[in-house]
Amino acid sequence: MQSHERQVRHSTDFPGWCDDVTDSTSPARFARRALLRAAVLRSHGDEGQRPEGALAGDTPAYTVTGKILDISPHILVLDTDDGEQRFPLASSAKAWRGGPVAPAALRQGDQAIVRRSKPGMSVVDRLWAEAGRVTGTIIERDGPATLLVDEGPAKGRRIVIIGAGATGRIQVRFPRLEPGYLIDVIGLRHDGFLEALLPATAQPPYPAGHPPVPPLVSGHVPDPLSGTAVWHEPGEEPTGLIGLAYPALDPETSCEQTRTVPVTCDGDLHAVDPHATGPGCIRLPYLSVGSMLRLRNDCSGRVRVLPVTGCGATARLFCDRCVSCGASQKGRIADLTMTAFVELGGNLEDGCFNATMTIGG
Amino acid sequence: MVGVRDLQVPLLACILLIGCAGKAWRVVRDRSVASALGPTILFPWQLRRPIMFAMSVAEFCLSSALLVTAGRFQAGLPANAVRVCTALFFLVATGTLYEVRQRRPGVGCGCFGEFSDTPIGLRTIGRAALLCAAAAVATGAPPLRMPASPAQAWLWLGVLGVELALLAALSPEIGQFLVRLGYSEPCELRRLPVARTLSALRASAQWRHYAGQVSADIPQDVWREGCWRFVVFPGLANGRRTDVVFAVYLQPRRPPIRVAVLDETALSADSLI
Repeated sequence: MQSHERQVRHSTDFPGWCDDVTDSTSPARFARRALLRAAVLRSHGDEGQRPEGALAGDTPAYTVTGKILDISPHILVLDTDDGEQRFPLASSAKAWRGGPVAPAALRQGDQAIVRRSKPGMSVVDRLWAEAGRVTGTIIERDGPATLLVDEGPAKGRRIVIIGAGATGRIQVRFPRLEPGYLIDVIGLRHDGFLEALLPATAQPPYPAGHPPVPPLVSGHVPDPLSGTAVWHEPGEEPTGLIGLAYPALDPETSCEQTRTVPVTCDGDLHAVDPHATGPGCIRLPYLSVGSMLRLRNDCSGRVRVLPVTGCGATARLFCDRCVSCGASQKGRIADLTMTAFVELGGNLEDGCFNATMTIGG
Repeated sequence: MVGVRDLQVPLLACILLIGCAGKAWRVVRDRSVASALGPTILFPWQLRRPIMFAMSVAEFCLSSALLVTAGRFQAGLPANAVRVCTALFFLVATGTLYEVRQRRPGVGCGCFGEFSDTPIGLRTIGRAALLCAAAAVATGAPPLRMPASPAQAWLWLGVLGVELALLAALSPEIGQFLVRLGYSEPCELRRLPVARTLSALRASAQWRHYAGQVSADIPQDVWREGCWRFVVFPGLANGRRTDVVFAVYLQPRRPPIRVAVLDETALSADSLI
């Protein structure tokens, strides 16, 4: 008996720190969870969730990602996972590459994500190229504009260089560009660093390791929950993955294992383990990779059933509101993949949308 | 009536001291002044920290001065000056709380540290006004002394009780405190080790019923969704490979358990991700 328990604990003690779809040798294991859950709960007539809801999350209806092979004012050619694809551009198509640009200003070789005006149609009306984002704790600052940011155990560290014309804009929203404080910026991806051009939120006033304690919950956690949905760069994930990094994965079977990182530089002293800072701004029910959530973009009205595909514990550190369409409830409830964010009608340069989340799909 | 006026001084001193200690505890615990901002949210960023610090120091100084001047020592002008200052402090607090409520309705007053996160309401403002009135009433009161008779002592205690009850009724923090005393975390937020889930499962009637179909000692997958933890074992039924799925409700004792036996070939989920 004891030995079994030990083995289970070992089997969940992932060396890659986080129970992440991309770290797993068997992503199908996570995908099957929704079906198994539905089967065991539905067989008792309680909490039965339609397994077809799970299938709703796997393919984007509006969004395509790929590398730009060619672009003209009227036609976009993308190198996607499904091969070369051509898309006509709407006359009103808007493009973003560090700022609003004409679609023809995008470059060959840019990693792009595009949104079609209607599902299944090929006409594209929004394009983003080389969009990137860094969200985490500043652990080192070198000069006025170069920062080393720790994005948490699941994502590692990134270099951020604040763009020449963006310093004022970013410092207004992030007055403390000092080690130990949080940063969340959007910009252009370059080889080895992010050129920060836009603040994605306002800087929380507290040091990264001390987010406010949320009020206690009496009874059950409300379902659905409202809050802010943000996006993250694909990193090791497949670029077209539709899913979300969830801020409260089950600490017993997922990514909240205690990490012991030896301090090798001054920056390590400022690194914050988001798993050690409490529940963050909002108390979310514990879930696992493979759990299905129904997420609604309150601004666009689009709804999607999405799988949890990773650990988004860094989102716990931010106790902010999204003001895309009125002020959202405080706290980040979902850290979406880029594709999922765009699919739900979000604009990457906005950084967030007001969201309502229902557990279970 | 004179004695009732006297009672206000120690009462005010205690409340100021508790407020100061509550803020200090929060700052020490969070290692950040910023976490206890409260009404300083009205001020520019650079001023918040010094104002927060000044507010706590003022509370400590006023409470100390009230206690020192409560007796015969420093009675008269110094004692009255301290009480007038205390009344002014609470008057400013009343106005500030009203202003914060108008401009930032979601912000708590932070008066007693982490217990004061409830958005400022009329009760909080009323409490500050009541304390202001108490300080004004105490101005000019003679030095604190023991009651002259048992009857007077009972009268003072009665008045003190009524005043404390009134303050409690005006304090949302009391509710927070009581909630914490009797708080039980909802099952979806409760941490429960996998080992306990497996122990409960193996002690259940469902396990005994389906154990014959389970073909391995070690679960092939364990995960959690809200109040349920799911444990999947490989199984064999009529020569076919199956998945035996147990759903164990996350409660410490005698959890409800549900079971499903599924044909493995019927569950192909490769296309989901």
